[in-house]
Amino acid sequence: MANIDTKEYSPESPSVKSRLTWLWSEYSVIIAFVIIYIGASAMNPRFLDINNQLNILMQVSIIGIIALGMTVVMLSGGIDLSVGSVLALAGVISVLALNASGSILVGVFTALLVGSFAGFLNGLMVAKGRIASFIATLGMMAGARSIALYIAEGGSVSGEVSGFTAIANNNLWIFDFPVIIFFVMAVLIYVLMHKTRFGRYVYALGSNEKAAMLSAIRVDRIKIGVYTLIGTLVGIAAVIETSRLNSISSSSSGSQYELDAIAAVIIGGTRMTGGRGKIIGTIFGILILGILNNMMNLMNVSPHLQGFVKGLIIIIAVVFQKRE
Amino acid sequence: MEMHPFVAMNGIEKSFNGVPVLKKVTLEVERGEIHALLGENGAGKSTLMNILGGVHQPDSGQILIGGEEIKLANPHVSQAQGISFIHQELNMVGDLRVYENMFLGSEIRTRFGFLNVEEMCRQTHEILAQLGVSIDPKEYVRNLATSYKQLIEISKALLHKSQLIIMDEPTTSLAEHEVSRLFILMKNLKKSGVSIIYISHKLKEIQEVCDRYTVLRDGQLVKTDIMQNENLEVITKLMVGKSISQDRYVHEHEFGELALEVQGLTSTGLFKHIDFTVRQGEIVGFTGLAGDGRTELFESLFGYRKKYTGTVKVKGKPVHITHPRKALQAGMGYVPKDRKENAIIKDLSVIHNMSLSSMGNFERMGFIQDKKEQEQFNTYKKALNIKVHNPRITIDKLSGGNQQKVIIAKWLEAETDILIFDNPTQGIDVGAKQEIYQQILTLAKLGKAIIILSSEAPEVMRICHSIHVMYHGEITARFTGDEASEEEIMHYATGAKREGEKIG
Ligand SMILES: Nc1ncnc2c1ncn2[C@@H]1O[C@H](COP(=O)(O)OP(=O)(O)OP(=O)(O)O)[C@@H](O)[C@H]1O
Ligand SMILES: [Mg+2]
Repeated sequence: MANIDTKEYSPESPSVKSRLTWLWSEYSVIIAFVIIYIGASAMNPRFLDINNQLNILMQVSIIGIIALGMTVVMLSGGIDLSVGSVLALAGVISVLALNASGSILVGVFTALLVGSFAGFLNGLMVAKGRIASFIATLGMMAGARSIALYIAEGGSVSGEVSGFTAIANNNLWIFDFPVIIFFVMAVLIYVLMHKTRFGRYVYALGSNEKAAMLSAIRVDRIKIGVYTLIGTLVGIAAVIETSRLNSISSSSSGSQYELDAIAAVIIGGTRMTGGRGKIIGTIFGILILGILNNMMNLMNVSPHLQGFVKGLIIIIAVVFQKRE
Repeated sequence: MEMHPFVAMNGIEKSFNGVPVLKKVTLEVERGEIHALLGENGAGKSTLMNILGGVHQPDSGQILIGGEEIKLANPHVSQAQGISFIHQELNMVGDLRVYENMFLGSEIRTRFGFLNVEEMCRQTHEILAQLGVSIDPKEYVRNLATSYKQLIEISKALLHKSQLIIMDEPTTSLAEHEVSRLFILMKNLKKSGVSIIYISHKLKEIQEVCDRYTVLRDGQLVKTDIMQNENLEVITKLMVGKSISQDRYVHEHEFGELALEVQGLTSTGLFKHIDFTVRQGEIVGFTGLAGDGRTELFESLFGYRKKYTGTVKVKGKPVHITHPRKALQAGMGYVPKDRKENAIIKDLSVIHNMSLSSMGNFERMGFIQDKKEQEQFNTYKKALNIKVHNPRITIDKLSGGNQQKVIIAKWLEAETDILIFDNPTQGIDVGAKQEIYQQILTLAKLGKAIIILSSEAPEVMRICHSIHVMYHGEITARFTGDEASEEEIMHYATGAKREGEKIG
């Protein structure tokens, strides 16, 4: 379309300026990513090392998968605070199922099932119970963590089936499996959001719920679908998390994952109130977080200060969003 | 009087994304005059007023107030200059009370710094009373009918003792008697030296109340002149480039089977004992004043409201509709009124708004076909003359009337057998109105059952085969399209005449 513009109306100086503002408003995350990337390579030569780069990807993959789901939830106008707890719960139950059955497949499916079911419950509370998503998922956050602690008696559970660790620790060519899973999921969610009616409905609902309903959209079902979807993605993340060290801790696994995931979505430019945002933005948002973490490690910044930097970045991102 | 006009906008230019919208437009408004700003949908009227209201900045040109050049950097500056702006789209906060909306940002406080609720309620009541409205200032706005919201929006502008009031289509949801009250008020304001810029597509109103007019076409000034000298046909021609007949449409087709039968529909506090039928190919109108319950009635039929009793039959089969989706599946479509609240998805593109209720038409194996959507949109763009430069931009960038056309396209695309239009020509220009009526007529000829709700009696009289008049939730009279007169409709709509005399 841009070319049609230029054909009909010769772009004068104001339109060049307005095009630049447009470029910035549409792609500010990518521009920020490029700047941070260049800055990081200039500050530390080890950053560009291929192993380090792959390491960053590996480190962001679990949160990345969750952040994809979080993007969808936030586009619908909601939020999901329960992802970390549900991840621990799904991990704990799936390890039990794995050990009891001796089958990796059963373990994986259990994780997906627990994740989706928790998400489905969130969806029911939000859509049918008309409870604000913040409250509903806060309840789920406390509840799921508590059940995980109860089942594992406050400790960790470890897998006893050989081959389970392969899921997170093997690689294809130079890419670790989790990275591949992340990218496959990213493509799937992208297609879901931009090429199917489900995605269209999610945007519509997040933008104007009443109008969406009057457009004959089953708003309730879409909401339930959205929370079930993020639950399933959390289940996948739980499998990777568990497989990585062949164990999961009921008390610490997944803690604060919701913050990182929400941060990635916001840095990626998705609007808090829904209706506007992109999957691509979230992917760059998560990469920005990964690079910052990596840089702070490489430069020996105290781990206690890393939260501060992350917080700062989120606030800057939100300030930029507000300006438009 | 003074040498220079009160407000002068000279050589105003404005473009969005390289597309020029205003080209060297000049507008002068004298003290104490009502100045009509006219033009087709997308001509640039709202944009010009947004510049005067400080919402947009012009690319070039100057604005003089009382002969002095002024830069209106933002809406606050504009307001400080004595300019009030009634926007085309309603800007009410539904979760606040009436008086809170009225005084939003300019609350009255007591000596101790607390909100002076009593005083605010008193003033709210006073101003609303001038418009003939009696609503509780402490009522939540979300519970009010659209026409009340529009009247509150108008009152809000009156609150600020302004020198110039911009009214961008203030009467789109108002019934005739509400409009005439507004006009009396406007004439009084005029006498006290206040100037008004009045935008409307209802030319009869314009002639009644305006002193001068300015016509824009495609962002260019076409003509400014004194109202008295002109007849409406000439002005219409200036606006749309052709003359438009205001005659009643003649229908010469047979009706088919019963498409919709409604019996004893009742919803406490909203409407009661509603009976009517619509045949295939028939166009049925519903009219009445604010609070007549017609919108609530059809929102219930469409499944948006669920608490009602009575029977509904579609093509002879009883249906129980509890969700708009079920209504769509039963073959009902509904173009709601109040597009900003009920119809526009402002973050979706123009094309995506058009396809939202009929995604199935654009899917192949579960995936949306962008090209198909685009092609279909182009068909509607031509048929309804939708003015949009790039249909991939979000719909809120379109002019009000063009947004409305997209919403109509959306429901035409759903191809339902029964189509309900609630105030369908809200904000649509005279030329495009004709095209939409033509579309509706074509649908009727194809055997669709059409229902039109409108607060304007002349609108339903022009295209409907039969007309139902509602008052306080009841149908008080039924007419056939050719025997109805505006006067008689008004009698029943205001409750001056009652049921039983007419229905038989
Ligand atoms: N923010 C914007 N970005 C891009 N284009 C815009 C924007 N605002 C207005 N336009 C374009 O400017 C043109 C004029 O719009 P405007 O709203 O002034 O029309 P109008 O005369 O008020 O029409 P209507 O009678 O339908 O309200 C339209 O073609 C519209 O698409
Ligand atoms: Mg307008």
